Amino acid sequence: MNADGLLERLTAYFPVMLQGAGITMLVSSLAIIVGLALGACLLGMSLANRGTGPLTWAVTVYVSFFRGTPLLVQLLMAFYLPSAFGWDMPPLLVAILVMGLNSAAFQCQILRAGLAAIPAGQIAAAYSFGMPQRKVFWNIQLPQLARAVWPAVVSEFMDVVKNSAIISVIAVADLARVTRQIFAANYRPLEVFLSAGVMYLLLTGAVFALGSWVGRRLQHRGGRGRRIGLAATGASHV
Amino acid sequence: MFDWSLIPGLLPLFGEAALRTLALLVCALAGGCTLGFALNALRESGRRPLVAVYWSYVGLMRGLPFLILLFIAYFGLPSVGLQLSPFAAAAGALSVYSGAYFAEIFRACWQTVPKGQVEAARTIGFSPARVFWNIQAPQAMRGSVPLLANQSLLVLKDCALASVITYPELTMTAGKVVSEQFIYLEPYVLLALCYWGMSIALDFLGRWMNQRFSLKGGVR
Repeated sequence: MNADGLLERLTAYFPVMLQGAGITMLVSSLAIIVGLALGACLLGMSLANRGTGPLTWAVTVYVSFFRGTPLLVQLLMAFYLPSAFGWDMPPLLVAILVMGLNSAAFQCQILRAGLAAIPAGQIAAAYSFGMPQRKVFWNIQLPQLARAVWPAVVSEFMDVVKNSAIISVIAVADLARVTRQIFAANYRPLEVFLSAGVMYLLLTGAVFALGSWVGRRLQHRGGRGRRIGLAATGASHV
Repeated sequence: MFDWSLIPGLLPLFGEAALRTLALLVCALAGGCTLGFALNALRESGRRPLVAVYWSYVGLMRGLPFLILLFIAYFGLPSVGLQLSPFAAAAGALSVYSGAYFAEIFRACWQTVPKGQVEAARTIGFSPARVFWNIQAPQAMRGSVPLLANQSLLVLKDCALASVITYPELTMTAGKVVSEQFIYLEPYVLLALCYWGMSIALDFLGRWMNQRFSLKGGVR
């Protein structure tokens, strides 16, 4: 690292890296949303027929594959295999899809653990009060599930942001790729990669801070909801 | 479509590459576990500066992509006079990176040992080091196996990134076959199957070791 003109160079990297960081966050945010939706579908499939039958088995294989192979390999397969058969997909789309499919496997397991944490007695009690299944899901299971899984989902989001550096390999101009381009142009590896590291720390830090803030609000709303719920049923203790 | 006749020709190449991936995995796990254990011992000492070292290290590594750390190790360190081979850079970076995650696993396990035991041992005159080694470690380590196995799986997957800095492990070997022989499907499918098989084997190993080491019905 050469100190001469370091500040000027760093200010020159910044706008380029910021643009890359934008792509990183775009891909990561879309991937976490795709992953959450698909993860919920997977869990639903896995729990169908009381957790027996071919759907459950298919979800187990899906989760095992995405958990058991590196993201890099999944990306390379999704990027090169379709083009070998003459189908060209834009790298950005491949990146979002693969990261979403990958995250779905992990979020399915997060949701499964969250659902298991809700005491079975609550559901049974709700049914015995005559609550319809839809209300049991929306008013009893979902609020508690959201609160239970939120920290794990935020942590998964941070992992997705970090892992998204791998999409640079399939020519998506994310933060890691623009960093390598700057390095290839000026060959000052230490300062370039350290700047990128600081940038990633800021991104994951921001996700963590925002996630914790929302998490605190979720807890707060949950507390109020519980009190209202108790008053409505007239129970003196739970 | 899938041409099975290509597979026998690819197997020796992939076998050798799988051994390189395993060598990297073993080095990284040894380094990462040792570092994680040492970091946890620092935190357990309770001395404020050491605890601060623990948290800043863990926070730093958990916020940084492994790929960037790998680039710093391979491309960045030569400019401060430390030229590493691709293998050494990958093994070093993986150890440094996974060390933080292993440290968190050991922290979680150490927290499962009731505090009262530690206080009781201190009261009857155990030194802090003996409390750590003779009271906490044996109990904490028993529950650690599933977590360590899961983290080892993550490290195995990160080993694939060593291909980016030209260490000829599985992923790089597959890429080479693709670019030299112009076949796509077979090497990539074989590559995924190699990792998948290794992951399943790691899971089984973890489960077996957990059964072997966990207390059966006894003290909890």
